[in-house]
Amino acid sequence: MNRETIVGTSAPRVDVRDKATGQALYAADIDLPGMLYGKVVRCWEHAHARVVRLDLSAAAKSPGVVRVLGPQDVTANRYNSSVLDLMVSEQMHDMLGDIEDQRIFTDHVKFQGDAICGIIAKSEEAAERAAAKVIVEYEPLPVYLTADASKQPDAIRFTPEKPGNLAFQLPEPMFPGHALGGGDVEAAMRDADLVVEDVFYVPKQKQCQMEPHAYIAKLDSTGRLNCWTSSQMPKLVQAKLAKLFGLPMSLVKVTPTVIGGGFGTRLGLISEPQACAMAMSVPGHAVKLLTLREEDWVISPSRHPGKYWMKIGFRKDGTPLACDARFENYKGGYYLDASGTAFTAGAWLGGMYKFPALRYKGESYFTNQGLTGAYRGYGNPQTNFVLEQLIDRACAQMGADPVEWRKQWHKGVGDDGWCPGVTYPSCALDECLDRGAAAIGWSEKRRQYAHQSGTVRRGVGVAVMNHTSGAMPMLLEHTACTVKLNEDATAEILFACSDMGQGSHTALKQIAAETLGFPFDHVQLSSGTSDVAGFDIGAHASRTIYVGGAAVKKACEDVRRQLLERAGRHLQVSPDELDIRDKRIFVKADPARAIEAETITRAGVYHFIDPATGQAGGEPGQIQGYVSFFAPHNSPPFGASFAEVEVDTETGEVRVLELVNAHDIGRAINPAAVEGQLEGGIQQGLGFVLSEEMYYDGNGRILNNSFTDYKMFGPSDMPKITTILVEDPDPVGPFGAKSVGESGLVSPVGAVANAIFNAIGIQFTEAPITPEKVLKGILEQGVRDYGSIGGAH
Amino acid sequence: MSLKHDIEFALNGVRKRVAVDVTMTALDMLRDVVGLTGTKYGCGEGECGACTIRVDGQTVNACLMFAVACDGHDIVTIEGLAADPKADALREAFVEHGAVQCGFCTPGMVVQAAHILETNPNADAATIKRGLEGNLCRCTGYKKIVDAVESACCGGR
Repeated sequence: MNRETIVGTSAPRVDVRDKATGQALYAADIDLPGMLYGKVVRCWEHAHARVVRLDLSAAAKSPGVVRVLGPQDVTANRYNSSVLDLMVSEQMHDMLGDIEDQRIFTDHVKFQGDAICGIIAKSEEAAERAAAKVIVEYEPLPVYLTADASKQPDAIRFTPEKPGNLAFQLPEPMFPGHALGGGDVEAAMRDADLVVEDVFYVPKQKQCQMEPHAYIAKLDSTGRLNCWTSSQMPKLVQAKLAKLFGLPMSLVKVTPTVIGGGFGTRLGLISEPQACAMAMSVPGHAVKLLTLREEDWVISPSRHPGKYWMKIGFRKDGTPLACDARFENYKGGYYLDASGTAFTAGAWLGGMYKFPALRYKGESYFTNQGLTGAYRGYGNPQTNFVLEQLIDRACAQMGADPVEWRKQWHKGVGDDGWCPGVTYPSCALDECLDRGAAAIGWSEKRRQYAHQSGTVRRGVGVAVMNHTSGAMPMLLEHTACTVKLNEDATAEILFACSDMGQGSHTALKQIAAETLGFPFDHVQLSSGTSDVAGFDIGAHASRTIYVGGAAVKKACEDVRRQLLERAGRHLQVSPDELDIRDKRIFVKADPARAIEAETITRAGVYHFIDPATGQAGGEPGQIQGYVSFFAPHNSPPFGASFAEVEVDTETGEVRVLELVNAHDIGRAINPAAVEGQLEGGIQQGLGFVLSEEMYYDGNGRILNNSFTDYKMFGPSDMPKITTILVEDPDPVGPFGAKSVGESGLVSPVGAVANAIFNAIGIQFTEAPITPEKVLKGILEQGVRDYGSIGGAH
Repeated sequence: MSLKHDIEFALNGVRKRVAVDVTMTALDMLRDVVGLTGTKYGCGEGECGACTIRVDGQTVNACLMFAVACDGHDIVTIEGLAADPKADALREAFVEHGAVQCGFCTPGMVVQAAHILETNPNADAATIKRGLEGNLCRCTGYKKIVDAVESACCGGR
């Protein structure tokens, strides 16, 4: 039984009332005295071009303009707006081949929306009017929208450092043959009784966080560069800005603002370099840089699209023998985290099933599409769409039940996780599968839908996934945390990692209160500014609770230890014999012997000496706890999703009727927040598989950079949602918790695709599976009873 | 350069006189001229609903309305719902159900939900979903939002 009283409850979010009343201040809401407004002039006409003439003279004379800035007016230093370079050692950095290939303003446009120059004016309108007066002449260059196009020998190089426009492939020294895995794939495939193989296309999905990017920057009178940002990684923004502008970190102050959704798009920098460059040209003035939605769409990185080939061999009894795969993803015009998704897509693949032989190749090619980078799931939904469909294809042909096959062959406790050598400490995927199957009525519906007639067909599908809890061991996992006790025995915690809206700060506060033995409301937790908060790598890789929570717990344990030591001396018992409940420190074996925590903290702060006796009461010193925490392990979560769909074979429309998301999260620190992550994940997963894709014309200009033309699910599009929290406490995570931030969107992808397969007997290799593709598939292949496929179960 | 126009309207129950540029949207006026930043810019084309306000009892996307069109009308923003007990119950339902994550869509959601409850106090889940169709959320999958609004229906009965 859990003895906790605060952890495991759905404590209301700390920021909820501010947000529900419109009082929460996002960056765009902040108004500083004498504020100026910036506007980045972008190239909208071309996706690949050279600037042959830039004339800012008319813009400079436009009413209300304070400054105009071209490439020559800002630092020529290059940067990489992503952050992987700060998360790996220098040797690893060199081996991966990470590069800095971005400039604040460019004369070589590599994607539509690349920044050309900047305007600073007294109002937004004045800046916009001036922007329209900037004269730019371009020399158009050939536009490469796919890897196949940009890898041609005569293609223009995006950067001299990357021949063949191959931004990244798994590096030879670490991955022999540029491949992840092991075993003899060729030999294993020769032994296979059944081989399934296909080439898939995975879509370019946009995060669509509701708050458009907004920044404020100011060079203050002490020469410090201030930046207000909604980045997911405020401390890395500080480090990146310091490097870009050649400043010591002490002269860069980053203030995190309330974040209106992240989902990866705010990982690292977006327009902080432009905002800061503008501010540095008008010392003493704050410059606000807002982003229009249509602009937001093109300037921030999206999910990596690309071609994903996979081949899996089985024995006829269902034993998996080998998996061979290659994901060729399309970067945008710049490198960013090219080494990230290309690797992780294969890592999740390797972490899922017991393939004795595995060979995965991941490659990233530059293209003239918009930037690609981090998006919740980070390579995992791509792999899920491919792997889980091929597994179901094989199951259908072998007559295996997809649930039973997965239960038999998924990896579990003691197996290598997504990184060899880091084994799974816990796995409750079987329970996820069992409870999910029961919730959707799996067996009965599979029987029922095996043979159908009529124009509207139904199907149920399943998919599973593994994800990660932090990025250890591939990337740095470091969080510092400080806990200060006030004299009234209330705690103030500094923890730099942002809450993007997941409710992480609420859950962390629960962890702190539980550890300290203090009431929830007697604990305060904030990100602080970069001045006061210690190092933290940022909110990514679903790490905030698993790693950040462990850091908060450790720092609070430090405080608790100090409190118990002082109490022990007062009560004349060993600290081990003491416990704290509701700020009362008592002897476990004799609860009547006790001292209030406040007695200790008050004496520590107000440490008076009695003039009559020369004696002081209690022990001196304000108690503070601190940890500089490095995650010792990685305990990935698992999940199983079940979908029921209805396919209209006359219109091609797919309606998802129900989606069950059963998740092995170790322990829910805040169940409502965990459910919220899984429910929101479903909406994004459904978008990936059914409706969301950024489309470009032949010249690389985006066709649907708006909520009108890019279809994300609205309230009425959503199916009935059931989330099942499977709690099997992890031996490593804080209070048994594993991660949940990203993983909810992953397996709905495969589950819906497999439900469509169950409904009409057709698999679709291109996501999103739009009505057009469904109709085309039906036209070409005909609707088939699932029961008529091979030895289908 | 730009034409200014004097307008007068009721803002959250208080008479307000402002001079606005004729090209200005109601959204920009509320945020930049009046200084009420609870109403959000999310898309600028009436798709996301983050800027939902009430005009003479009807909900409107403030980004699609000219500021001058507010002249003579009764405007209520999220800030104006602060004193409304029914809206208060609704906000508490959002709190209790965990219907708020990043919170950027929330002011628009609350204004729209308050409108649904006022015009259809017995709304069922399907009606609520239809009513919230113009308000996008990327965090919640809408489940807890719909649950919250449903629980506030019929005065929470």
